[in-house]
Amino acid sequence: MLPDSHAYRELGRLARNPREFFRSSKGSVELWVNLLVITWALAFMLWQGAGFAITVATIFAIWAILAVSLNLVVGFTGLLSVGHIGFFGIGAYATAILTSDPAYEQLRTEAIPTFGWPFFAALPISIVLAGLVALVVGVVFNRFRDDIFVLVSFGFAIIAFSVFLNWRGLTRGAFGIHEIGKPQLGGWVLDSETEFLALALFFLALAVLISWLIVSSSFGRVLTAIREDEKAIEVFGYRVVHYKLAVWVISAMMAGLAGGLFSSWTSFIDPNSFILLESILLISIVILGGLATIWGSLLGAMAFVLLEEGMRFLPFLPNEFIGQARQIVLGILLVLLMLFRPQGLVGRYKL
Amino acid sequence: MLRRDRASEGLLPAPFQLSGTQVLAAVLTVAAVGYISWKISQSADQALQFAFNGLAVGAVYALLAMGFTLVYSTVWFFDLYYGAAAALGAYGVFYLRSQEATFGRYEVSSVYVNVVFAAVAAGVVAWALHVGLYPRLRTRFNRTALLALGGLLAAGAGAYTGFVLAYPGVLNVMLSPAIGLLVAIAAGWVLYRGSRHILAGTSSVPSRVLATAAAAVLGAYCGLLVANAPGASLYLSWGVSCLLAGAVGLALYRGLYLRMRERARSPLVMLVASLGVLLALTAFTTIVFQSAPRPLPEAFGSDPWTVGGASIKGFSVFTIGVACAGFIALLLLLKKTSFGKAVRAIGDDEEVSKVVGINTTVVIAIVFFIGAVYAALAGLLSGHDTAIQPRMGLLLLLKGWIASVVGGIGNLYGAIVGGFLLGMVEQFGIWDLAGEWRDAISFILLILFLSFWPKGLLPRK
Amino acid sequence: MSDTHTESRTVFAIETREISKHFGAVKAVDRLTLSIPRDGMTSIVGPNGSGKSTLINLLSGTLPLDGGMVIIDDVGLKIVKAHETPAHGLTRTFQEVRLFDQISVWDNIMVVLTNRRLFPALVERVKPSYREKAKRILGDVGMWEKRDALAMNLSYGQRKLLEIGRAMALDVNTYLFDEPFAGLFPQMLEGVKGILKEMRDQGHTIIFVSHNMDIVRELSDRIFVLDSGTLLAAGEVEEVLSSAEVIEAYLGD
Repeated sequence: MLPDSHAYRELGRLARNPREFFRSSKGSVELWVNLLVITWALAFMLWQGAGFAITVATIFAIWAILAVSLNLVVGFTGLLSVGHIGFFGIGAYATAILTSDPAYEQLRTEAIPTFGWPFFAALPISIVLAGLVALVVGVVFNRFRDDIFVLVSFGFAIIAFSVFLNWRGLTRGAFGIHEIGKPQLGGWVLDSETEFLALALFFLALAVLISWLIVSSSFGRVLTAIREDEKAIEVFGYRVVHYKLAVWVISAMMAGLAGGLFSSWTSFIDPNSFILLESILLISIVILGGLATIWGSLLGAMAFVLLEEGMRFLPFLPNEFIGQARQIVLGILLVLLMLFRPQGLVGRYKL
Repeated sequence: MLRRDRASEGLLPAPFQLSGTQVLAAVLTVAAVGYISWKISQSADQALQFAFNGLAVGAVYALLAMGFTLVYSTVWFFDLYYGAAAALGAYGVFYLRSQEATFGRYEVSSVYVNVVFAAVAAGVVAWALHVGLYPRLRTRFNRTALLALGGLLAAGAGAYTGFVLAYPGVLNVMLSPAIGLLVAIAAGWVLYRGSRHILAGTSSVPSRVLATAAAAVLGAYCGLLVANAPGASLYLSWGVSCLLAGAVGLALYRGLYLRMRERARSPLVMLVASLGVLLALTAFTTIVFQSAPRPLPEAFGSDPWTVGGASIKGFSVFTIGVACAGFIALLLLLKKTSFGKAVRAIGDDEEVSKVVGINTTVVIAIVFFIGAVYAALAGLLSGHDTAIQPRMGLLLLLKGWIASVVGGIGNLYGAIVGGFLLGMVEQFGIWDLAGEWRDAISFILLILFLSFWPKGLLPRK
Repeated sequence: MSDTHTESRTVFAIETREISKHFGAVKAVDRLTLSIPRDGMTSIVGPNGSGKSTLINLLSGTLPLDGGMVIIDDVGLKIVKAHETPAHGLTRTFQEVRLFDQISVWDNIMVVLTNRRLFPALVERVKPSYREKAKRILGDVGMWEKRDALAMNLSYGQRKLLEIGRAMALDVNTYLFDEPFAGLFPQMLEGVKGILKEMRDQGHTIIFVSHNMDIVRELSDRIFVLDSGTLLAAGEVEEVLSSAEVIEAYLGD
């Protein structure tokens, strides 16, 4: 199922009559972007072989869940949140702490609480925890709009990071949490990369499905109206604050889910994975891919992951600069998009 | 039958009813004041120490907040480039003085950097000549020749900037001709004006020659003085980095934000675009200088003085002085000059300002320049106080942004008050907590403020 | 919804008791008391800055009251919450047309029709009844062909019509129209007049603000004249418009 009917229609046209299609689509940025990213992804897989592609695909899946969830807030509700990484971090830390192995953790100098839960018990709790934090944060943030919302959402990311770094008794601060358990279903441990990828893709599909159900429901339509004019929609009997709060919490829970997956996948987390910069990269992905489309977020996440992996093979770029080079490209892309295409590559909403 | 809702049955008459938020705000204020007085009663010396520290960091925040406020009250968006400008200011000093900073162990010089900044300088000079002089001169002189001359001047400025950046070891020598020239021009202008006043309008040829000669001699002398003072290089490097950061800010406005405004993009679009700029420039800084923290060379006044049981560095006092001077300068600029009037007019209504003949593009460009210079100044002053690293820009940016919002968006008094308040709250906040919490503390202050006083301490009228 | 009400109610759709709204030193609405009957069409007129739009904003909860009380549908309210006004049987349009710009004309209507409660709305899909109603309303205001266009791409007149259609979709007793005729071409003017008349004939209370005295004479059953935030005159149209002080207020402006 392609989540976006527009992209689906375009592909349908391509299949029916390629020549006419190419003639008519010369100016269609969306289409070329779609083709480019998908071709790039396929070429990359063929070139690098399955092993590396699996790793990259898992990274993609985690970023994509985050991007899809953030798009609910940014693209559909019009709240430019730069603090989403905080919920990701909460999910990651909650899963890490809940699944931490008492036998292993006792050997460490700085003790943290250990629970030794299985992954699939810890994950729902992490998601709920992210949602609860989002509820509290959302109640406070609900009154802010536009640039002030951007500022306070920066604030949330900073506060969350400070907590991860400084609440040593819970997170072991900068040392991070090691040996986070792999998911286990009955006696079956998902410890191979392929199995984990399947799990991540399953959750990605779930996130996409839930997002699609939300945005195509009456609730989703009200969200877009809130984005356009909060005052006007109130006159028709909607409590805007409740709607904003609900989508904020749902989005945060999805980010928490991504965090749980992430911590189990890397088996080691420290606060550096949840710095503000990551959050800025995340919002860049969402804007790059396109606001108010689910497909756009998937595309953006894929382009972002491929950008890094593609740069690895640039001959003149030393390896340690890849992250920075990607950041430069992303920054320039963001500027160009804001200049020429403020809805993002395949977006439906202009900032 | 009239049903009455509950709100109409208040116990007190309307003027005495306090809303829940007001009560909470009052309670919080009382708690904060109580906490601080309790702390002071515990240890007055330590309180004084924290107050000094708070003032010193507050000065940096105030400088940034003033830049934000100036830009925000003109074009109504926060230019996030100022984070990068702060980092550029600090790293500019490091770029020019890295040898002294690391005792010769680490020197950075990159052709690419020099070329980029040379190009920016050339572009800004070309633009300034084009909007400043070309319209006045084009009726009197050959247009092609004027354009060629302007292009040559701009290229010369660019090349000069490139050379200055390429030979940081002899910065004082490199800059001495420029400073000599500037002094000569300034002195010449003063002397001409003076002679016209004294001689009551008659400016004879001998007096002109005399004035020119005197100005030239003065300029040459100043140039020589600078060239023979190698120790001045550090302070000259401050000027160079501030100017360059300002030039980049201006170029960004002219090249980017102006185009977006022409396309009637919302302020949020410009905010995101400036976020992109910040992202790219931070990464650029990291590539050039690597992400490890670096020291800046020692400026004057690094020996602490002891005042009433607390120690304060001369440099911190200097920082506070710079913030106050910057505030007064900006205030005079806004209140006393026609430029200031134009800025306020644009902030009130840009369309009307255009109609009454204000060149809004130029005025806003200068506003962006000034804002970026203030941000760069804040960056390098805080860089001398602590070490510098590429990510410092982002945090300084957020602090400046918070300070300007807490003080009252778009109000210059609010900016300086907000800056010092934020510095104080941060310092007193980490008294009982670890220092790592200070970023969180400043954001909690912001969120509390916005919840109870959404317009800040001193709202814009 | 309109048929469910019984005869036990008073004859007034909206009453105000000494409501006030100040902007700084300016008293936009000053201790204003008026009663708007349920039947027929009522117009609110007055010179520029006389507080007409502010009054509409106060009645619909778009602006908070500084003092006084609004009685909508026999419920006295000191705080009018915008999101509760439809439950009291009231909705409005805006003077500066406020549509949901970046969504389609169709969705602009649909958004008003759906479930108000949060969790049912989350799982609610488009119901056939909604679809039929939106189709009917878009037909009524003549926007059916434009249903897939974004609201931001409509002409001014079309935007105005769509906004009226959006209010109609809510199906309440009382409609407040803020300047529904301003800036319309004659042909569209007739269309809007027709829509308003039809709504009145269906038994809705129509309250509108207008500057166009010809339309006010033609349409309204009664008239309220505001000046400097106070009520200058009220009553039958011809009687009020010919009274000396009303003429003076307009000419002396």
